[in-house]
Amino acid sequence: MKTAWRGWALSVLVLAAGACRGAGEHGQTIALMPKNKGNPYFASCRTGAEEAAKELKVRLLWDGPTETDPAKQNEVVEAWITRGVDAIAVSVENKEAISTVLRKARARGIKVLTWDADAEPDARDYFVNQATPRGIAETLAGHAARLLGGKGEFAVITASLTAANQNEWLRQLRAVLAERYPDMKLVDVRPSDDDRKRAFEETQTLLKVHPEVRVIMAIASPAVPGAAEAVKQSGRSDVRVTGLGLPNDARPYLKDGVLDSAVLWNTKDLGYLTVQAASAVASGTLKPGASSMPAGRLGAVKVEGDQVILGTPFTFTKDNVDQFNF
Amino acid sequence: MSVAATHRRELSVGAAYLALLAALVLFAPAFYQRANLRDVLVGAAPVLVAAVGMTLVILARQIDISIGSQFAICAVVAGTLAKAGLAMPIAAAGALATGAALGALNGVLVAGFGLPAIVVTLATMVGLRETLRWLTEGVWVRDLPPGFQWMGLGQDTGRFAIPGLALVVWAFAAWGLRHLAAGRAVYATGSDAEVARLTGVRPRRVVFGVFVAMGALTGLAALLSAIQFIDVQTGSGVGFELRVIAAVVVGGTSIAGGRGSLVGSLLGVLLLATAGPALTFLGSQAYWDRALQGLIILAAVAADAFGSATRWRARP
Amino acid sequence: MTYERGLALGLVLEIALFSLIGWNFFTAGNAGEIVRASAEIGLLALALTPVIVTGGIDLSVGSLLGLCAVVLGVTWRDAGWPMPVAAATAVAAGVVGGGLNAVLVARLGIPPLIVTLGTYSLFRGLAEGVTAGVKNYSDFPETFLFLGQGRIGVVPSQLLVLLAAAAFFWLMIHRMAAGRTLRAIGFAPDGARYAGVPVSRRLAAVYLLSGLCAGVAALLYVARLGQAKADAGTGFELMAITAVILGGTSIFGGRGSIGGTLLGLATLAVLQNGLRLADLPAELAGVVTAALLLAALGANRVLQGRLHR
Repeated sequence: MKTAWRGWALSVLVLAAGACRGAGEHGQTIALMPKNKGNPYFASCRTGAEEAAKELKVRLLWDGPTETDPAKQNEVVEAWITRGVDAIAVSVENKEAISTVLRKARARGIKVLTWDADAEPDARDYFVNQATPRGIAETLAGHAARLLGGKGEFAVITASLTAANQNEWLRQLRAVLAERYPDMKLVDVRPSDDDRKRAFEETQTLLKVHPEVRVIMAIASPAVPGAAEAVKQSGRSDVRVTGLGLPNDARPYLKDGVLDSAVLWNTKDLGYLTVQAASAVASGTLKPGASSMPAGRLGAVKVEGDQVILGTPFTFTKDNVDQFNF
Repeated sequence: MSVAATHRRELSVGAAYLALLAALVLFAPAFYQRANLRDVLVGAAPVLVAAVGMTLVILARQIDISIGSQFAICAVVAGTLAKAGLAMPIAAAGALATGAALGALNGVLVAGFGLPAIVVTLATMVGLRETLRWLTEGVWVRDLPPGFQWMGLGQDTGRFAIPGLALVVWAFAAWGLRHLAAGRAVYATGSDAEVARLTGVRPRRVVFGVFVAMGALTGLAALLSAIQFIDVQTGSGVGFELRVIAAVVVGGTSIAGGRGSLVGSLLGVLLLATAGPALTFLGSQAYWDRALQGLIILAAVAADAFGSATRWRARP
Repeated sequence: MTYERGLALGLVLEIALFSLIGWNFFTAGNAGEIVRASAEIGLLALALTPVIVTGGIDLSVGSLLGLCAVVLGVTWRDAGWPMPVAAATAVAAGVVGGGLNAVLVARLGIPPLIVTLGTYSLFRGLAEGVTAGVKNYSDFPETFLFLGQGRIGVVPSQLLVLLAAAAFFWLMIHRMAAGRTLRAIGFAPDGARYAGVPVSRRLAAVYLLSGLCAGVAALLYVARLGQAKADAGTGFELMAITAVILGGTSIFGGRGSIGGTLLGLATLAVLQNGLRLADLPAELAGVVTAALLLAALGANRVLQGRLHR
């Protein structure tokens, strides 16, 4: 019993002392959230983000779900609202779901940005855009068309069937196919669930179920090496792979020739620019109506309305991939 | 009891498997290309190896849901050791040893402290995976020496050796389970630990042993899976434990312990390994895959319950 | 010192710790957020308590939540039914799902671990199949969203649902005669059967209730996020089971309490929230949860002095 009483007394004291915590800090606090943390794509964005944070002398909070749990992103944003930060920047997993809580953050005076994947426009101040879904779809379709000579069959390996980004890209891809490449046929879309082995096995099966397929398009970063390895092991030199992936994953297969091209953007710069933009919005230097913003080592970056544009999708090929390390 | 009755479970799984194969012959004969059969077997090999361990665990009336996390860690260890310049046999041994050590962790908590296996392995599953994520942030182990893929044996030998090795492991375990005292001890512990103890079996040692074996076999499974590629994904093995448990259970091993066989587990592994690609060959859409697999599991266990003369007890 | 008193003390210390190291942790607003974030898992944990007390388990509750969320979206948007009818249908879908578990476990006597392993895939698979993985439903009416985002005074609306469910389950397990029989079933199902307990009926009831709660939790979830998708509730079953075990219920059955489950739930919810507010990484929550689970098992063993089973 005595132990219990001592425990209670100690807790009350600590509570009293601790309830005071809540005062602000010097310097800005910028909170960045990836879609999920165990992902090398976001790990590379983080290095850029931390670089910018050090340059600008702001405090960077980096947190997010460890698995793709649709509800967790909301909870993290709620925690940041409670905690009090100067700006929040989210790579959105679920557009409609996150917008509710982002609006709440804005109502509390916190500056809100999205990066990598957007929320609803009225839920954020700016979207740091590396490439529009339409732009990504056009680039990918262009590569497939080049490899197929404008007609033929191809298949897609996606992330998970519910992944919002990939589903948006697929929608745009189908639209682009209908408009520009009516002689190309997308025969199937198989999920990899972000597992390289699964992408490998699905590609192996695809090659046999649809022997007329000549291009495999892998639109999730673990799927690119998985699909490429499957095509390589099958010995089907008439099949090529393209897709969306990190240059370090793509490099060996680009050199081999199995992987024709990997589309992405400079993830480090994306993280870097996001922190720069968030800090600028929070301190008021980036305001509506601006047409460009100074972004440290990136120079003057274009601003179009409420979008901060990093650039267009970049294609890694065997000739340029060695210049990159992420 | 007739042979058919004692092996009723294995026979019904076998029959289900044959039915699936027959459907493929009729509706998707393309499935039977040599390349496809080989790929299915290579893909099934890690699951078979782990299923051997899981059969032992479940026979001993335990369970291990942490093998997915163990898988990921062992794969990363194999890759890291290879990258550090160590010879492949050493990297392989490292993976197995890591698995055994992780299995021993479970074993100490369950056998040593008497804590329930399902909760212990739930805790280790979460703890291990989150720790791995924290340390690596999901970054893959890359730039491995060329001898890593296929253990340097080349693609053709590798693709033959991987299922071959899995089958050898399975065969040895099947023989041992039947003919070695240790094997009988596993069955005895699972049937009734108290009676087993009275007959001279040491249940706590048996339980510890099956968890260590499970861990080592998971390490082997991770190795067999990892050497098919040129780098190691740190987030691998998610959902692996469910695949393995489903295969063992569908194969007839009773979750109540003491009943089941490795023949059944082999059939279970083959059935589920075939079902995935079979659905694609038969033209099913990807988004119905999970529902169909759930149905297969339920059908397998329900059919057994329907046919059973005595009801399974509602709890062990 | 009983286990539950120790758990309550631990909770108080945990709150004290996070008040110290977490920003604005000890505020009414944050308390409300903790309740909001944990309401759905709380419902699942409350329903899982009687299931585990009978010596069973239900791994399918998270997947069933996802399926019910999809049913809600489909009936409301695609079929155009009025919101209350769609909501009732979603809950009914939960009951049907629970019913499937009930039939397989109570009628056919198949071990619940295996049944719910199968339905775990089946329910999620049905949700994915119906939506082709792609479809998601949003723009729900404001009155519905109030359920997940609104407040009554200072109290989040979910709290009322959670409290009502807690009261119901507490009465059922601790006050009704039927509740005591659940513990008997957990201890010795054959003995209970011989003593005249209608074991099949009781088992069926707890799994049906579990399905019902998954359906209600789906409503709260969709109202909170404003979106219904096939992946709703992923991973919730493990969190719910963790809360129940942390609360002192024995996985073997025969022993458990609603109060313990609520304390376990609170401990986990405070942990996740507190770590975030203390700028600590999310992975730490997983590691600490694992440690807490093992500690809970150990503490229970010591306090009960049970022989190794």
